[in-house]
Amino acid sequence: MSTQSAGLSRYGEEFKTFLSETWLGYVMVIPATLILAVIIGYPILRGIQLAFYEASLLNPEQMQYIGLENFLRLLEDTTFQGALWRTILLTGIVVSLQYLLGLGLALVLREKVPGVEIFRSLSMVTWVIPVIVMVIIFRFLVQNGFGPVNIILGNLGMETSYWFGQRGPAFILVIIMHVWRNVPFYAIALLAGMTAIPKEQYEAARLDGAGALQRFRYVTLPQISTVSMIMIILHVTFTFKNFDIVYLSTGGGPLGSTEVLATYVYKQAFEQYALGYGASIGVVMLIIMLVFTVVYVQYESAE
Amino acid sequence: MANTDDASTGVVQRIDAWLDEDMSVRRAGIVYVVLGLYFAFLLLPIVYMLLASFTSQDFLFSPELIPSLSDLTINNYVSVLTIGEFQRYFVNSTIIAVATTALVLTVGILAGYSMSRFEYPGRRGLLYAFLSTQMLPIVLILIPFFLLMYDLNLIDSHLGIVVAHSVIGIPLGTWLLKGYIDDIPESLDEAAMMDGGSRFDVLVRIIIPLSMPGIAVAGFYTFILSWNDFLLVSILSQTEATRTLPFGLQLFQAQNAVAWNLLITAAIITMVPVVLLFALAQKWVVEGLASGGMKGM
Repeated sequence: MSTQSAGLSRYGEEFKTFLSETWLGYVMVIPATLILAVIIGYPILRGIQLAFYEASLLNPEQMQYIGLENFLRLLEDTTFQGALWRTILLTGIVVSLQYLLGLGLALVLREKVPGVEIFRSLSMVTWVIPVIVMVIIFRFLVQNGFGPVNIILGNLGMETSYWFGQRGPAFILVIIMHVWRNVPFYAIALLAGMTAIPKEQYEAARLDGAGALQRFRYVTLPQISTVSMIMIILHVTFTFKNFDIVYLSTGGGPLGSTEVLATYVYKQAFEQYALGYGASIGVVMLIIMLVFTVVYVQYESAE
Repeated sequence: MANTDDASTGVVQRIDAWLDEDMSVRRAGIVYVVLGLYFAFLLLPIVYMLLASFTSQDFLFSPELIPSLSDLTINNYVSVLTIGEFQRYFVNSTIIAVATTALVLTVGILAGYSMSRFEYPGRRGLLYAFLSTQMLPIVLILIPFFLLMYDLNLIDSHLGIVVAHSVIGIPLGTWLLKGYIDDIPESLDEAAMMDGGSRFDVLVRIIIPLSMPGIAVAGFYTFILSWNDFLLVSILSQTEATRTLPFGLQLFQAQNAVAWNLLITAAIITMVPVVLLFALAQKWVVEGLASGGMKGM
């Protein structure tokens, strides 16, 4: 009798722990999970579903299942292929430049010169301002006639123009804005990674006769590889799916010369009302980013 | 052949020797020059726009690059700040960004605490599921998202925009907060519970006060993403009543003519709150966003 009740009460204790611990744990993640599931989870499933349907923004309730037809259409859509190629090119150029310039900035910010803290704290300012404000700044700088860039070019006797309206320069300006905005973020993250490297490793390398360049190659670079991976994945996905920088500055123009996948999806859905077709491009973007991330993480963890 | 090898080793040795030098005047000089180049690229555009916002339309349409003292005026600020709609956008932006930050911090601290301290099936998978939402192309979600908000009757409401912004802030916010909470020794929790405190007491008396730097970083991150957002507001806001500053800047861009002096002034006013907030929080942001974020991995 007494052993039985002791056993029962122990069971009761465990049950109470289960209730108070596991359940409390679940209860506390529910609000965040619920908001994400409803506001992102549901729309993403609907979005993926839409890719297999023909649907118009004018009458989104009337959807017709068409299987892979949207995806087959992509194979013949040269505008899509141009946008895909341009998005990959933009992402490749932007992330390479950001990484190299960010690494360079991190290395100078690591130098112990007087006043370097001021530069460290100032650096992230380009990253915090709204994208629309950045776009207004750059459009103001290169505006036709009396934009400061054109005043300088004019004084040098060179050609002046509204540079967002010229095919090549517009693409370059889009690259510059991406670089301008995010280089400091790379620098600060890489700097934090470098600061965490134990001094002894440098001392040991020095005793082994490694010069400064070798120490950079064999101590610094391997030690910041995780931060580098995080920053690169973060910015590849950010640049690849970015909508607002391109849309607000050039709208994809002039003559489609800055059209990227995100702006093309937006136009298909909201200007051509082709919801299903737009969604199929979105699904292609999602697949490319997933494949990139999985392959990159595998590669890094194999090293 | 041997000669070029010697030459290149010589160069490497010279670079090595120079990099090994302790802080010499020459080395510091080069560091300052490089810093100067970087910061000219980063800051000159902002500084020039700031300067231009204190000049008149006449100066902006003159071939002069640098304004003289007589060109300077605060008229643009007076004009922009006295526009009724603009004041309204400012208030809307403030309400939405503050409410979003409060919501994200509340659910983020709860979720981060849960993921850091409780053992239950699916805990790690849930965190990855949270983070993976960051990879979704927002344009793919836009249409079903709009239809959903329409069904929920959240179009053109402050609440709808707050919920939409929270969704962007929750994953990274939770991740950051979990990282900071992981760093608080669990023995502190246990000691408090030994004294008869509940899990809730631990959260309020120990976790929240000790993870303040993390809360500052997550709060700052959420505030700026809400304040800066253009796309979601452009979808959800249908009238003046819910328009925020980034979306409202089009007030100054008519079809053909741009009122540059007013537009750049309004743009400056739009970025002032986030820059000020950054100045206040930068100590934690600069340390925390980089190093604190990595702890969560």
